[in-house]
Amino acid sequence: MTSVGAIAALGLVLSGCAGGSDSTSSETTDAATAEETAAETATEEAAIICEGAIAVMAPLTGGAASIGQEQLNFAKLAVEDFNAANGSAYTLIESDTQLDAGQASTQATSIVSDSSIIAVVGPAGSQEVSAVGPAFADASLAFVSASATNPDLTNGDNATFFRVIPTDAVQGPTVAEYMVNELGADNVVILQEKTDYGVGIAKSASEALTGLGVTAEVIAVPEEKKTYDDIVSKIGEDVDVVFVTFQIAAKSEQVAQSLIKAGKTAVVFGSDGSFAAEFKTPGSYTAAFAPDVKGIPAAADVAARFSEQYGEFGTFGPPVYVASQAVMQAAQLACEAGSLDRAAVLAQMPNVLISDSILGGDIAFTSDGNVDGARFYIFSIDESGSPVLVQ
Amino acid sequence: MNYFIEQLTNGLIIGGIYALIALGYTLIYGVLQFLNLAHGELYMMGSFFGFFTMVALGGPATAVVPIWLMIFLMFVVAMGGGALLGVAVERFAYRPLRKSRRLAALISALGVSLFLQSAALLLFGAKIRLYDTGMFINLRTGFNIGTARIDITEVLVVLLSVTLMIVLWIMVNRSQFGRAMRAVAVDQDAAVMNGIDVDRIVVITFALASGLAGAAGVMAGLLLFPVDQYMGLFAGLKGFTAAVLGGIGSIPGAMLGGFILGVVEAMVTGYLNPTYADFVAFVILIMVLLIRPRGLLGQPLVGKV
Repeated sequence: MTSVGAIAALGLVLSGCAGGSDSTSSETTDAATAEETAAETATEEAAIICEGAIAVMAPLTGGAASIGQEQLNFAKLAVEDFNAANGSAYTLIESDTQLDAGQASTQATSIVSDSSIIAVVGPAGSQEVSAVGPAFADASLAFVSASATNPDLTNGDNATFFRVIPTDAVQGPTVAEYMVNELGADNVVILQEKTDYGVGIAKSASEALTGLGVTAEVIAVPEEKKTYDDIVSKIGEDVDVVFVTFQIAAKSEQVAQSLIKAGKTAVVFGSDGSFAAEFKTPGSYTAAFAPDVKGIPAAADVAARFSEQYGEFGTFGPPVYVASQAVMQAAQLACEAGSLDRAAVLAQMPNVLISDSILGGDIAFTSDGNVDGARFYIFSIDESGSPVLVQ
Repeated sequence: MNYFIEQLTNGLIIGGIYALIALGYTLIYGVLQFLNLAHGELYMMGSFFGFFTMVALGGPATAVVPIWLMIFLMFVVAMGGGALLGVAVERFAYRPLRKSRRLAALISALGVSLFLQSAALLLFGAKIRLYDTGMFINLRTGFNIGTARIDITEVLVVLLSVTLMIVLWIMVNRSQFGRAMRAVAVDQDAAVMNGIDVDRIVVITFALASGLAGAAGVMAGLLLFPVDQYMGLFAGLKGFTAAVLGGIGSIPGAMLGGFILGVVEAMVTGYLNPTYADFVAFVILIMVLLIRPRGLLGQPLVGKV
């Protein structure tokens, strides 16, 4: 009996231990499963940190450097904000084009050969876009400009080109209508800078003016010309408006001052290239492809942080912020779809939608790479030399 | 006729600036038979010096000194700064190569040109500056020749450029320094043997040439040329063209070449098309050199055989 009892007790003890072992094994199994799950989740989370390099092509030096630096700084802010909001790790690579097509072409070669670059913001000038378009198309590299307005750029020759601002096909009619309807102009001279940009906007404005019954004389001006007194001498006393198509605002200011010296009363109206602090003759006008974002609620936070970090800005910088958002959004979509490379980013560009952008509306691209519903704005230069929105 | 006069005056005004730059080329070439390809950059630096002097004196809108004094000081600083810079460039970039092959000195000059452009970019930034002359001078002040309006800055530029040219001509042809300079130009070794300090003559020549370039820079600024680090590139080329057209090594030739170049550009702009102005100017240069290689007023080269 005793031995039976001992054996039973031993059996009880053993069963108790087994039960304990079973629970330990069970606990061990549960713990192991939990660890595996956590590891898998961590792996998954680590796998969706999207990263890549975005090249920013801008005139960081040269005649338009003040614009280029503003553009670069807005791109930097956009990348910081996007990464913070999305947990991504996009980086910027600076590329100085000096607003020169040749320089842009050289930079494009370098960009294409850098496999870390998945998309490009810029370049700034229409002639630069023409120069880099073929190289970027060959490399399936999407590039989004925030200031190239020549309408021909989206006629199919630049297959991977997009832009977040309206084209000169919009600017021309806008400025023409303002000149005729608001300024009462019936005698207009167009100073056509001999660049892709200048020729494009001059053509657009000339055609629009002709459509409104005003014949505009077009005077071609070499890009490297430094003095305009001889050009101003060609402008008659009875000319109402001189429309200048320079990419550098200082040149527009020179023309305005030359007209004053010559005692001529024609109003100087600058295309969007004139929208900069250097163009400040009171009574002049200028077009701009973006409003002054400081008055847009959606832009208040970005504007304040930019001003705090980098100082004052004009209208060339905010569209770069939006262009940067566009490429990063496309990259993010591509990444989440499982593949983050140039072709994948390019494929996602038509799916980009920036709601309530800092430019005062939604940003989405049409099938040819233009932005849907974009418009131009008109500013007059007041007595203090500051631009004031008039339309 | 009025329109012709208008373009003629435009051409003479810009020609005055070309002439001053051309004088610098011709002075240095005359003494050293060396083309200072960085001369345009000295003009650029002079323009910057003038600009920052104006800003330091409260300009353009709130000058703390009388306007005439501000303009005078702008010229003084630009010419003085240009002269010092020119002397430094000669001392460190050209003098060590004086006995070397011409190509070495030419390459050094190109290097100096790029160096000065980059230095200006680093020191002054990339932003284009404008003198905003209209804020301290009433641009409507002036007089008419027919319908041609000559404002006070243009009068100043023309008077000053002609005065500087005359002073330079007198200095070269009527002073002891000028005699020494001409001696060095003819034969450096013989000049040394006659007790002339060649290095001193070269330094003063560079100072004069660079000072003139600095003055041209301020004039350009007053005429509202945009001031940036690349403004010397094309201006230097135009000045060189003017010097060659007039006869490199000839002071009157440089003056004549500058005015001819300016007038040709203005006339082509006025009567043909602005885009042809440079083309026509250089075609004329080539034609002159084909027909008269020494330029319009250049002296024939005489060598002892």
